[in-house]
Amino acid sequence: MAGTGSAHLRTGDDIVLRVRDLVVEFPAGKGQVVHAVSGVSVDVAQGETLGVVGESGCGKTTLGRAVMRLQDARSGSVEFRDHELTGLEGSELARKRRDMQMIFQDPVSSLNPRRRVRDLVREGLEIWGSQPGPFTDARVEEIMEAVGLGGEGVGERRPHEFSGGQCQRICIARALVMDPEVLILDEPVSALDVSVQAQILNLLEDLKADFGLTMVFVSHDLAVVRNVSDRVMVMYLGKVCEVADTQPLFDTPAHPYTRALLASIPGHELGLSDASTLISGELPSPIEPPSGCRFRTRCPLATNRCAVEEPELREVAVGQFVACHYA
Amino acid sequence: MATVETNAAPIPEAKSFAPERPKMGVVFWTSVSWILLVIAAAVLADLLPLRDPDALGIRTGEIQRFESPGVNAWFGGDGQGRDLFAQIVHGARPAMVLSAAVTLIGGSLGVLIGVVAGYVRGRTDAVIMGIAEIMFAFPAIVLLFAVGAIWGITMAILIPVMAVLAVPSYARIVRGVTIAVAERDFVDAARAMGASQSRVVIKELLPLVALPAIAFGFLGFGLVIATEGALAFLGLGLEQRTWGSLIAGGQGLIREAPHLALIPATAMFLTIMAFNYVGDGVRELIDPRPIVVGRKRRADGPRPTTASASDALLSIRDLRTSFPTPGGVVTAVDGVSLDVRTGRTLGVVGESGSGKTMLLRSITGAFPVVGVQREGRVVVDGTDLLSASPASRSAMLGNEIGVISQNPLSALNPVRTVGSQLVEVMRVHRAISKAAARARAIELLEQVGIPRPGRRVDMYPHQLSGGMQQRVTIAIALANEPRLLLADEPTTALDVTIQDQILRLLASLGDEYNMAVVLVTHDLSVVRGWADDVAVMYGGQIVESGPTSAVFGDPQHRYTQALLESTPRLDLPIHSRLAAIEGQPPSLVAPPAGCRFADRCAGADERCRSEVPVLERLGSVEFRCWHPGQGEAR
Ligand SMILES: Nc1ncnc2c1ncn2[C@@H]1O[C@H](COP(=O)(O)OP(=O)(O)OP(=O)(O)O)[C@@H](O)[C@H]1O
Ligand code: SF4
Ligand code: SF4
Ligand SMILES: [Mg+2]
Repeated sequence: MAGTGSAHLRTGDDIVLRVRDLVVEFPAGKGQVVHAVSGVSVDVAQGETLGVVGESGCGKTTLGRAVMRLQDARSGSVEFRDHELTGLEGSELARKRRDMQMIFQDPVSSLNPRRRVRDLVREGLEIWGSQPGPFTDARVEEIMEAVGLGGEGVGERRPHEFSGGQCQRICIARALVMDPEVLILDEPVSALDVSVQAQILNLLEDLKADFGLTMVFVSHDLAVVRNVSDRVMVMYLGKVCEVADTQPLFDTPAHPYTRALLASIPGHELGLSDASTLISGELPSPIEPPSGCRFRTRCPLATNRCAVEEPELREVAVGQFVACHYA
Repeated sequence: MATVETNAAPIPEAKSFAPERPKMGVVFWTSVSWILLVIAAAVLADLLPLRDPDALGIRTGEIQRFESPGVNAWFGGDGQGRDLFAQIVHGARPAMVLSAAVTLIGGSLGVLIGVVAGYVRGRTDAVIMGIAEIMFAFPAIVLLFAVGAIWGITMAILIPVMAVLAVPSYARIVRGVTIAVAERDFVDAARAMGASQSRVVIKELLPLVALPAIAFGFLGFGLVIATEGALAFLGLGLEQRTWGSLIAGGQGLIREAPHLALIPATAMFLTIMAFNYVGDGVRELIDPRPIVVGRKRRADGPRPTTASASDALLSIRDLRTSFPTPGGVVTAVDGVSLDVRTGRTLGVVGESGSGKTMLLRSITGAFPVVGVQREGRVVVDGTDLLSASPASRSAMLGNEIGVISQNPLSALNPVRTVGSQLVEVMRVHRAISKAAARARAIELLEQVGIPRPGRRVDMYPHQLSGGMQQRVTIAIALANEPRLLLADEPTTALDVTIQDQILRLLASLGDEYNMAVVLVTHDLSVVRGWADDVAVMYGGQIVESGPTSAVFGDPQHRYTQALLESTPRLDLPIHSRLAAIEGQPPSLVAPPAGCRFADRCAGADERCRSEVPVLERLGSVEFRCWHPGQGEAR
């Protein structure tokens, strides 16, 4: 099994979500496949926020969707509280994954434009058979209040009457109404203005504390991920490069790719050399990813060994795992 | 975690830009009235005080043989003196019944099949659409001939046959809409919440495809009427009296009694047109786009061009750009003045809707909306672009002024090679041979960091990655060695590491070509890293400007402070609470009287709300704020 290893997986009762050797591929015509996620393992502990970063196309979204089973995996497993989700179908799957909810990048397109806000937020309850009535109404009201959407007549409006930030609040409310344990957020603030980003990020932190949420926060924005995450996983071309607690990952990045990512934040003050000396060229095609270490075509440290031998995740400092021969 | 404050952001009023229902014109309502009239005729024919359509006028003496239209018989009479008006009113019924039945049955089936095909995709979709293709290819008229020859043409035969023939068109249209809609995230969101497939189809998709399907239904309705007419013309008419059979009957008498064919033909034609117009009207309801895409430049009065006083290459004075929208006149740029000197990069930052892009477009004059008015002066290298002749203006664009847009793919022509697009910009502006231009094109590609430029020059844009495409647009912008480069969010669509490469490239090219660069972005860190000077925009105005290090190091305006504090910082502890700016940017239709930031500003007082802050200067920084510099410096 050519994964990037699972040395970083933890044991313990507080692990809510555990992904093992997940492989997701898409057909790309002419018998070729896109290697979107290639053997990713990761776990998330109760109450923790796992940040997932990497460039566009590295498989972040696909990973999130596969965990939610919105996307079928080719192999690997997804366990939620020791229940295996892979292989489940239909209503059984729906029941098991009720405790996981997902927030998408584009809040406007995540809301059916023809429906009223109250109906959108109530939808999850309805799907699960709650009849409209005082109990449902109270619950919907409470959640809308919690995400800052309280107020007369808000529920009667339709999505186009709201700004992007407000729409994202509606999406969050819709997920929270289900009382989930895990929230998977795919670039939840990328489509929003900086000033609004801050509102939503603060809101998420509040809700996490209030509702005891465990979160997977997918984003390409390193500063944002740094601020919200307890643990961070860096992905490149469908593989895990580095997993560590937030502080060490940002203070002492060990993988060459992590270092390059951090160095490309304009105006960063991390004492790294210029990004251009740490990375060059473009992302290779995920249809024919490089052999060995997938980062080798852009890595300044690459050697012949990197082309033939795939690096496995190993612990370089306490709690910091890196997949690089020379880290 | 600190105290949990529920987010007290006030819910804004409905946004002023919320799309409004387009107003339906006279043609639409006339068409609706006509359709209602025809339906009324079809339903009430028996009850109306009409002559008996079968009564022979020549016998009763009421109507003459081939009587012309007139007071006695409005539409005249036929060969036996039957009243044509009564015949037409009665003839409306079969056409309406047939069309309604075909449209309802064929339409519903088609919608259902289309939604399923578009949502399920894969094998099911391929099979369904394969069958549809075959049915399309089969000539319907031949099938109807065959059916008519075997069973005769009756309503009971015609309705199912035509309904089946209509199914593929509906299915195809609805499938297209469904695919587009199903890719939107709300379908995934519903699935994530545990909605079953059928619920997704019924609750999420059907309501959205209904309107396009209804719009198409009107067109289809008209089509059935026309088809029935054509069948009657070919002698395959229904046994009932229809407009088609009236036209068919009158055509041989076109010399003697032209009204016999022309009047039913007109009735049919008007009805078909009416259904088409109503269908178009309904379609407009689907996706109201109040702003029409097009390009229109302001008519310029002769005005003297004044050379700019400063040594700035770009000098903007009191620029005001406004355009009409359904919600009122939007003044997107409201009294902006700025200078950019050769060799410097000015970063323009602000929230979406603050007018950044409109500011850039006001320089080039290329607007995505019509009816734009510009006032003030935009002087580039001594020429005022607002008063210059169109010819001298277009001579400057693409030549002295290079432009880079946010989305490289949309800026490039997909059906032409990179090289031919580069060659074209060069040859439009100067006399250069094709061969020389091509050589220079390769050189440019090399310069913007494209490996193997000799090969890439003959590639099409889609064969290149996003980063490569953006490099190509930069090469095009640089082809004529511009003195001013305008870049609108040049890296927003790109990855962080590629973004870094592109910004690095722009900076080095700016030095090399000694250009003045305007870099529009919403990303503060991009400005911090790459701009010499910064202008912060809010509500169509520049609220603070100056050297980047000075503005970011010691922001004076409260908005600049708030903006800086709201971004996550790498030097603060993780899980730090961000200082969010609550509320919404101001309306650009009716902006607040005093400081435009007053509604969201913690330091606002009465004066801020009533008096426009005056421009103040502190060292090299300019700002408009009554209570400056009281935030935490960073
Ligand atoms: N439905 C699909 N069909 C084919 N290929 C796909 C599909 N979805 C994703 N891919 C491919 O899989 C790879 C991983 O995509 P994914 O969307 O997971 O990346 P990402 O890290 O979320 O990127 P971004 O930052 O752009 O959102 C990419 O090469 C992408 O083109
Ligand atoms: S394994 Fe080799 S190519 Fe990969 S990151 Fe490490 S040094 Fe670079
Ligand atoms: S002028 Fe007043 S309202 Fe405007 S930013 Fe300054 S303090 Fe705030
Ligand atoms: Mg993604």
